[in-house]
Amino acid sequence: MTVPVAAPSHPWRPRPRLLTILLYTWRSCFPRKRWAAILVPCAGALLFGLLARAVDNFPTAERAFANVAAEGIFSLVLPIAALVIGDSVLGSEIRAGSFHFTWLSPVPTWQIVLGRWVGGATVALVTIAPAAALAAVVAGSPSSAWPAFVAAAFGGVAYVAIFITIGCVTRRTAVWSLAFVFLVERLLGAVLTGIAQLSPTWESRAIFVGLLDDPPNRLIRDGIPSGTDAIVRLIIVTLVALALADWRMRHLRLSGAAD
Amino acid sequence: MSADDELIDDPALASNATVEVGAVSVWFGPKVALSELTCSFGPGVSGLLGPNGAGKTTLMRAITGLVGVNEGSIRVNGRDPRRDRSVHADMALVPEDEAVPAGLTARQFTHYLASLHRITDREAPEIALRTVDLLDVADRQVDTFSKGMRQRAKIAAALVTGPQVLVLDEPLNGADPVQRAHLIELFKHLGAAGRTVIVSSHVLNEVERMADRVIVLVHGRLAAAGGHRAIRDAMDDTPRHVLVRADDGRRLAAALVGLDSVTGVNFDPARGELIVLTLQARELAVALPRLAKHASVRLLEVRPLDDSLESLFRELVR
Repeated sequence: MTVPVAAPSHPWRPRPRLLTILLYTWRSCFPRKRWAAILVPCAGALLFGLLARAVDNFPTAERAFANVAAEGIFSLVLPIAALVIGDSVLGSEIRAGSFHFTWLSPVPTWQIVLGRWVGGATVALVTIAPAAALAAVVAGSPSSAWPAFVAAAFGGVAYVAIFITIGCVTRRTAVWSLAFVFLVERLLGAVLTGIAQLSPTWESRAIFVGLLDDPPNRLIRDGIPSGTDAIVRLIIVTLVALALADWRMRHLRLSGAAD
Repeated sequence: MSADDELIDDPALASNATVEVGAVSVWFGPKVALSELTCSFGPGVSGLLGPNGAGKTTLMRAITGLVGVNEGSIRVNGRDPRRDRSVHADMALVPEDEAVPAGLTARQFTHYLASLHRITDREAPEIALRTVDLLDVADRQVDTFSKGMRQRAKIAAALVTGPQVLVLDEPLNGADPVQRAHLIELFKHLGAAGRTVIVSSHVLNEVERMADRVIVLVHGRLAAAGGHRAIRDAMDDTPRHVLVRADDGRRLAAALVGLDSVTGVNFDPARGELIVLTLQARELAVALPRLAKHASVRLLEVRPLDDSLESLFRELVR
């Protein structure tokens, strides 16, 4: 006689590890407050769109939006929103002391890094990039929407990779990420082309300008590739950042939330 | 006698070790958390005992690879937990921190760990939740749980991975007496099934109830090791200070000096208090009332001054 075995009341099916980490990232790393912190700068992008519509010292709406977007969206909104996302997917969890549940598993560190990055990058793609495109529409320059979307998308995913790397290096992710954006990119990147070539802010601006039909000369910077060349540069930056994050994650010292 | 026999004679070393800690030192800046610690753990329940700040948590984090060691080595089933991530397939940690993943229910939490560990038994998460008595609240978010329930959720998340080495940092914190008894039985059961279970606590009685052997840490050093009886005997052999107040302290002090169990008496005439130093606290407790009655002295107060576990730990490392 065989004894019937009751089926589990909540059937569970094991998932691939990468998918598991991705779903976890979406579910656990973005509580409501984090979403609010991401959406506020995205709303700021729309305000910059309104500002571009309001200024009247440019010959066309496209020119007006290009100038406002370069300074407001790609230099301010993009890094701040990406910082919140990048910190959410790793740094905040390390600080909270709950990351070791993931780290103490036999999952290779590159899968953890990749899963977290994909989770953060998709959030950037559905928040920052549409906000940048919508800002162009609000500014009365719908032809700039696609360049703004592409530039913000590649800039956002590169930033998320960089901020994940910073999260693997230090617990003070927000402070060091802000230092990276405002000291390294804005200050040093403004005078040193070599730094600007590795900077998501400068490269996303270059993508945007390169894809515009009539880019303002003021925004074209010598020595920095534009358009698709800038996209390739940001992909390389992203891959290098992810490789560094993987290496750092293998050597993480997780001493707990209280320490 | 062979070298191996000598090693096994050391109470800090387990005969069939799965976790080996060899001359390990860990420091955080100027603070030394572990200092040249050598011990090992084998199948069964081992207690890690020590006052707060003794280095128990650091040792557990070092064993699981969360913290690298500055000197020495740690091996789990012969592998370095910092270098070989495959070791995590056989090991689980239940940390003392209350931190749990945000936004996940207890069921999702166990599913997450089960998927990361590629557990194929589809019933494993439900069994783990049932084992810690959380099935009824499995769809509540873990971050809304009480401290004791969070501990149990973390234990379920550890159990679902089927670890051979289970490291539990103060797992009974926040648990009510019924759950305490249940968890102690669970750990004993896991130990009897051949798992290496390492449980830390700063409560001796708690460790006594579940651990076959005990490692005592004080200030990051090994203070004592062995069965809990040996540990308690070692503690009983340490000098104790007992405060005695009586209506005629001077006469009582004179009588106490003649007792074998008393090694010294300090009398404070201003307060009428005696500080009695003894190596045999139990004998003194029996003899003192009789002595007082015989000397026609009325005892007003008898109180051990250093009966806390921390003071006993300090005595162990003197």
